[in-house]
Amino acid sequence: MSSGSHCRGTGRLVAGTTRLNTMRNLWMLLGIVVAVTYAQDVTWWNLGVDSRILHQFDTIGSPELYILGTQPLCAELPGLSSGQQKLCQLFQDHMGPIGEGARMGIEECRYQFSNRRWNCSTAETGSVFGRVTAIASREAAFTYAISAAGVVNAISRSCREGELSPCGCSRAARPPDLDRDWVWGGCGDNVDYGYRFAKEFVDAREKESNAPRGTYMYARMKSNLHNNEAGRRAVYDKAGVQCKCHGVSSSCSLKTCWLQLAEFHDVGAYLKDKYDGASRVRFNKKGKMEPHEARFNRPSKDDMVYLEESPDYCMYDPRAGSLGTVGRECVKTSMGTEGCDLMCCGRGYNSYTKEVVERCNCKFKWCCYVQCKKCRRTVDVHVCK
Amino acid sequence: MAGAILENLSTKKLSFFCLCLLLVQIACFLVGGLVAPAPSSAHNILTTKCIDPSFSLQKWFQPHGPHACDKVRDFDEATKRGIFADWIVFSAQVPHRPNTMHRSFQYMLGVLVMDIGYSDEDGKHLAPNAAVTLVVRLGYKDTDDGEFQELVSVNETRKLECVFPFTEDKVGYHYSCEPLPLFELGSVHHKHYLINIRMPITKDKATGALTNTNIGSPEDLHVVIIHQNGGFTTVWMSIKTIMFPIVLLITIWFWRRVKTQGKPSVLLERTIFALAIIMSILNFPMEWLTFWVEVPFMTLLSDIKQGAFYAMLFSFWIIFIGEHLMDQTQRNRLKVYRRQVASIIFTFFCLFIFDVCERGVQLVNPFFSMWNTDKGYRLAMAFIILAGICLCSYCLFLLFMVYQVFKNISMRRATLPHMAKARRLHYEGLIYRFRFFMIFTVLTAIFTVIFFIMSQVLEGHQKAGESISSVQYTSGFYTGVYGMWNIYVVAVLVLYAPSHKKTASTSNGEGSEGSHVEFDIDVPSEGRPTDPVVAGSLTEAYQLLSKTATE
Repeated sequence: MSSGSHCRGTGRLVAGTTRLNTMRNLWMLLGIVVAVTYAQDVTWWNLGVDSRILHQFDTIGSPELYILGTQPLCAELPGLSSGQQKLCQLFQDHMGPIGEGARMGIEECRYQFSNRRWNCSTAETGSVFGRVTAIASREAAFTYAISAAGVVNAISRSCREGELSPCGCSRAARPPDLDRDWVWGGCGDNVDYGYRFAKEFVDAREKESNAPRGTYMYARMKSNLHNNEAGRRAVYDKAGVQCKCHGVSSSCSLKTCWLQLAEFHDVGAYLKDKYDGASRVRFNKKGKMEPHEARFNRPSKDDMVYLEESPDYCMYDPRAGSLGTVGRECVKTSMGTEGCDLMCCGRGYNSYTKEVVERCNCKFKWCCYVQCKKCRRTVDVHVCK
Repeated sequence: MAGAILENLSTKKLSFFCLCLLLVQIACFLVGGLVAPAPSSAHNILTTKCIDPSFSLQKWFQPHGPHACDKVRDFDEATKRGIFADWIVFSAQVPHRPNTMHRSFQYMLGVLVMDIGYSDEDGKHLAPNAAVTLVVRLGYKDTDDGEFQELVSVNETRKLECVFPFTEDKVGYHYSCEPLPLFELGSVHHKHYLINIRMPITKDKATGALTNTNIGSPEDLHVVIIHQNGGFTTVWMSIKTIMFPIVLLITIWFWRRVKTQGKPSVLLERTIFALAIIMSILNFPMEWLTFWVEVPFMTLLSDIKQGAFYAMLFSFWIIFIGEHLMDQTQRNRLKVYRRQVASIIFTFFCLFIFDVCERGVQLVNPFFSMWNTDKGYRLAMAFIILAGICLCSYCLFLLFMVYQVFKNISMRRATLPHMAKARRLHYEGLIYRFRFFMIFTVLTAIFTVIFFIMSQVLEGHQKAGESISSVQYTSGFYTGVYGMWNIYVVAVLVLYAPSHKKTASTSNGEGSEGSHVEFDIDVPSEGRPTDPVVAGSLTEAYQLLSKTATE
């Protein structure tokens, strides 16, 4: 599969590095133009680590900055598809939260997979999740889902902070009708808005491809869309409903409920469960999804799907998106995935001791006042060979 | 009350009348379900963390706009910048840009939701029974660029009820906390509201302990704003505006008809009249006033009106059933029903006192709630338990009387063929009237309960991301039930108004003062209950009901 070496080139192309690379890659681009969209390293996830987007939107309080020639921003951001660039220009104030959402996705992925062989590694430059998306594995499914979930979460959060102007009334034609809709019916939920906008933005990339049915690229597009949806739904599935009674004499004859978003760790843990239970699927000639083995049930919209089995992530294998576990820390006594036996794939490990300084005996006032003593402690560290 | 319209109405006319009522009922439900939006909506506002080193209660801290405050993103940043907890002001502007509040929102409730992170560092634990002390300022403005004016500024304490739903190793996860009631405003008269919340660390005057030291590490404060939807207010007030003159006209017609009878009105007629009057008061659409004048006591007033209507309705049921008992007791006086009516009045008096305490104080301090303090909680519970006991005893009275009536009916039916024609007609009339009333009332009550359960079940079960159904069941429930009780009152007014036809009213020469005629003396053998056990239990029952049986 040649897309492995190709995709790295595309990443550089978008980032605009050397001319030589560009020339070489243009030649390749003619060959497998469809494959590029799916296998390239740089996607909108990069917004999560792009410092420009975070700084740009620090100045969110003053809308004049957008008018004063910040328009090229959307074109400059690497990884946006053409549809996403359009959305970026229409909803400039949403780009900060999207970057924030991508960052949350990456962080949560690392948090959830810190003790697995595959740890959402971002060791290589130019790509957020390493090259895990080279094949449509379980891990790729998780990255799609968690970053889609991150965007729903971040957009909804920004809505609640009042930072995005059109939040709430997510359906009807606005702005002229906005005031009427708002007074008449209260204009819906912020989470709903987050979901809808995330769907629009995240799926835009996949929907731009027009791979014919029955091809591998079509199957990848469909499975990516499925995993995006699973991620977005996870935010809903974990959101709790809270209610307040305010009827006659505060009785429950009248009750109003609202969605309280779960903390993102909860969503991450939920998606990790879904990752463990993900189902392998294939797409038939009509483009319909079916289980890889007929005896299994069709996956629901909440489930993750993948097309190919994952590598074991023991050794460095860029074509399979594996960085290997050489140099990873492991736990000597554990029998789980973080244990040295499993983590180091039987290659053995090096051990040494290290002294760490920790905070202890802290005095704390709720916000930001912490007074601690320093305690020293020696720990044993084991590193895979 | 001898000879109501109901008895003299032909089946055709009666079914036509019932059909009309049914159509009105369906219309009421559909208007609520299809035209109106949900009754209320909730908006979650995440507070912005502003910094105020001066601890100034004069300044306003706005989350955005040209006068936006100096803010921090999270408390890690605050720690790095050397900011103290006392400097943090949580600021929420209501509503979100670019919207404004509208007077048709009628009321506004605020709920505080705290995100408290779990930490295994000592000193960062959330103590059990922790309470949070809040210094809150609520302000308003009506123009986009004006200054905020203070509405109220208070110190409040709320108890935190939090649990950590995970095992101990989940550092960074949040506690699951009950939402804290923050404030209730009885009118939404202004366009913008601003809430500034501080959680200062100061010495508590009463105990001398430091406040807000054992509340763990809060990360975010959310203010959830609940208000009635403008569309629902419009539909609701339109229904009231249409119902009010109709019910009032029928009430006047009813009373004139009673007066033209040429004899003094009986208790049942007076009760029906009172019920209709209270229904008209409830219908009177005085909420229109809130569009021009600030009426903060509107919720209190509507609670009282609602309570009065229920009290009247319950009294009406007792009196109606009592007047159809078909024993030989002479009733037709309110005094006879004093126990039952007293239990009803006491129930609603308890609820009234509770309401006045809660909503009355809220007129001065919207952040007050009886449930927030231990004393208030106990007092409120006492009122509600008392009201519950009275309501239960009322229900027992009512059920017992219904049982009595049915027993008497089955006894009378056995003796009906032996009676003189006039008496038979009289009794048949009574039984028919009662049966019709029972079926109608029970149906109305059952539908109310069904609607209520439906709205409770449907509420909050709609997951977003799925298409929102076009029928608003909760609104349909409210308009439907409201329409139903109006229809109930109208039906009672029309069907139980005295008839002009003379067939039934001349049933028995002297029987004009009430629905009970003491003719049992004439028919000693057949009319009396023959079973001594039944007779015994009946006598007992009369004593229970403190009625003197006239033999």
